[in-house]
Amino acid sequence: MRGRTIITLALFSFFVVATGVIYRRSLGISQARALRTLEERRTALEAQEAALDGAIRDASSRARLAPIAEQQLGMRIPPESLVIIIPRPAGAVRQP
Amino acid sequence: MIKISRVGIVHGAFLCFAVALVGRAAWVQLAQTDRWRARARGQQFSAAELPAIRGAILDASGAVLVESRPMVRLAVAPTEVKEPAALQTALRHAGVPEATVRRALDRNRKWVEVPGMYLSSDVADAMALRGVHPTPALQRVKPQTDGLRNLLGTTDDNGRAVGGVEAALDSLLRGTPGRRAMLRDSRGTRLATPEENATDAVPGHTVVLTLHAGLQDIAERALGDAVTQMGASGGDIVVLDPHTGEIRALASRRAGQAASGATALTEPYEPGSTLKPFIAAALFERGRVQMTDSVNTYNGVYTINGRTIRDVHKAPAMSFAEVIRFSSNIGIVQFAERLTAREQYEALRDAGFGMSTGIPYPSESPGRLYPVSQWSRQSGASLAMGYELSVTPIQLAAAYAAFANGGELLEPRLLQEVRGPDGTPIWKAERRVVRRIMSERTATAMRELLREVVSEGTATSADLATFEVAGKSGTARRTASDGSGYAVGSYTASFVGLFPADQPQYVILVKLDNPSGAYYGGRTAAPVTKIVLEAAIAARDAALDRTRLADAPKRRAPSQASQADSVRAAGVATAEAEAIAPAYVVELGTSPAPARVVVSARPVPDVRGLSMRVAVRELHKAGFRVQVMRGRGEEQQPAAGTMLRAGSLVRLMAN
Repeated sequence: MRGRTIITLALFSFFVVATGVIYRRSLGISQARALRTLEERRTALEAQEAALDGAIRDASSRARLAPIAEQQLGMRIPPESLVIIIPRPAGAVRQP
Repeated sequence: MIKISRVGIVHGAFLCFAVALVGRAAWVQLAQTDRWRARARGQQFSAAELPAIRGAILDASGAVLVESRPMVRLAVAPTEVKEPAALQTALRHAGVPEATVRRALDRNRKWVEVPGMYLSSDVADAMALRGVHPTPALQRVKPQTDGLRNLLGTTDDNGRAVGGVEAALDSLLRGTPGRRAMLRDSRGTRLATPEENATDAVPGHTVVLTLHAGLQDIAERALGDAVTQMGASGGDIVVLDPHTGEIRALASRRAGQAASGATALTEPYEPGSTLKPFIAAALFERGRVQMTDSVNTYNGVYTINGRTIRDVHKAPAMSFAEVIRFSSNIGIVQFAERLTAREQYEALRDAGFGMSTGIPYPSESPGRLYPVSQWSRQSGASLAMGYELSVTPIQLAAAYAAFANGGELLEPRLLQEVRGPDGTPIWKAERRVVRRIMSERTATAMRELLREVVSEGTATSADLATFEVAGKSGTARRTASDGSGYAVGSYTASFVGLFPADQPQYVILVKLDNPSGAYYGGRTAAPVTKIVLEAAIAARDAALDRTRLADAPKRRAPSQASQADSVRAAGVATAEAEAIAPAYVVELGTSPAPARVVVSARPVPDVRGLSMRVAVRELHKAGFRVQVMRGRGEEQQPAAGTMLRAGSLVRLMAN
């Protein structure tokens, strides 16, 4: 082969390799961006879940419900004489 | 002479330039590799600290009391903002104050920090806009009630523990932050790259406490109501499992609001008459006294070593049992003389007074118990009445647990379990016996005495209709804040109860500081105990073993011995008041005794043929207790028409 052909081939090879490297790098960065977005979304959803769990816990807690039950529904804590604890029959299996 | 053409000069110049270029490149690439590589890394990568999520705090049932959740903080660079209208809408939508929104849009400012933390889902629109700079942050979600909040402590803006359980267990909860190299793209956005080594953050451990959120809330509400209604300056409630030493509830109030910490662990007080059972136990354990032994109680006024001691219940003589039942100062002082000073000191020291319990909580107080070498002539009498020493509520509750569990002093526990970041238990607390402080026989005898205190003595206000409660009330004078001695009209009213009396599941201590009006422990603290117990029995989530409760012996008829006690024989009314310290010649007015409820017999209604629900309702309406049993035979026992006292038990058979 003549010298010019060799140089042309070398330049072309360099171009192909460089294009491949840049393409691969661009792809990696775009995937990293997508990954970051997904991680942020996951974190946001987890935080939202924790917030909702907390809100449910707070709303269903005795501290929140008891005053409402007493003031709005007129409910009272029964005296213990009105609480009947039924003994479990012999041989009964405790339910999970 | 060599003739150099102009083309040759140009070629030479290019060659020199090329050599210089290659030489410089070689120099940079080979000789200065490390320097330029480091500089490139500095531009292309940035180190980011990964915050460790602080461990959660759970209650004994696994309910979350405190946890951390990821949030974001926002900062706005107004000069970078391209869409001010969209940013204004997004910030308003997220609930950012209007003043901050205006500042964020003010182009004369370079940087505006938006106060507070936000869920990233709430500020997603704002975060997508240019000029908005979010920073991840962790928010500590606090428990629902003030009391629990103050007990558990908190964390500051930087995530550092401040007070309470958070501070005491900080090394377990805080976790280990990670580090990660982030790749910077052309716009400065930081991206994670798998090519770089990263150290992941290790979340903190999850800590499981022995507290029970349901019971804690019951205790906090009862204490809050009591402090308000009785005009007290504060108070504490401790509920303890006497068989394991686990603290189930710890409520404290000071100056009309939840105390800033667990004052039941940090603030000692003089216990007054609630200490008498320990002197009684020491006497009984050493065989220095029989239940039927009597002493002269001098109709309520007695002078010893020049000091006048008074009883609220005035009687010429009292038996040992009556001394506890009616909280006679004169009686216990005379019985205590059967112990040497060293024996008395050892009995109290062995009960854990004067020493820290070891609960992991900042600034737990050991209380105060002077050694015999520092006693005065009055000390023996003072200690017998619960003065000249100070105890924390938790110490006293732990000591009472010995009466409930057969004589063992247990280490009270607030921490039940520690779980690793993956949820696997890495440490579990075990029941730890500090020492045996009395025999089972003595503990049983003391329980019987304490039962009589509630059924017929100074603390009948704590009595329940179905279950028996044992306990001891106390009313002690309080020292003035200026250190000038005991203040006139200032008292600590307390009651320590065991529930139920026979197989106790709770030791419950109620202490009220400076209650106004009827200040006796039997009249103020004992009813609060009853309120807590009633609420706990009615609740599903109050750490009560209902199977054991169903099997627990129910109310018994008063003993014949107690019916014929010498106090009644002397014609003394059973007032719900106990003796206060007699060391101070202050006439303490005896509150009038409440009218005794006359319980008359009534016929059992006929509920045969009714549905179980209606039958139970009818029987309750008629004033009877009901037990539903499986079996055949008579549908109700006793039969309809039988005359029974109100509160008697009627059994219904469910086929």
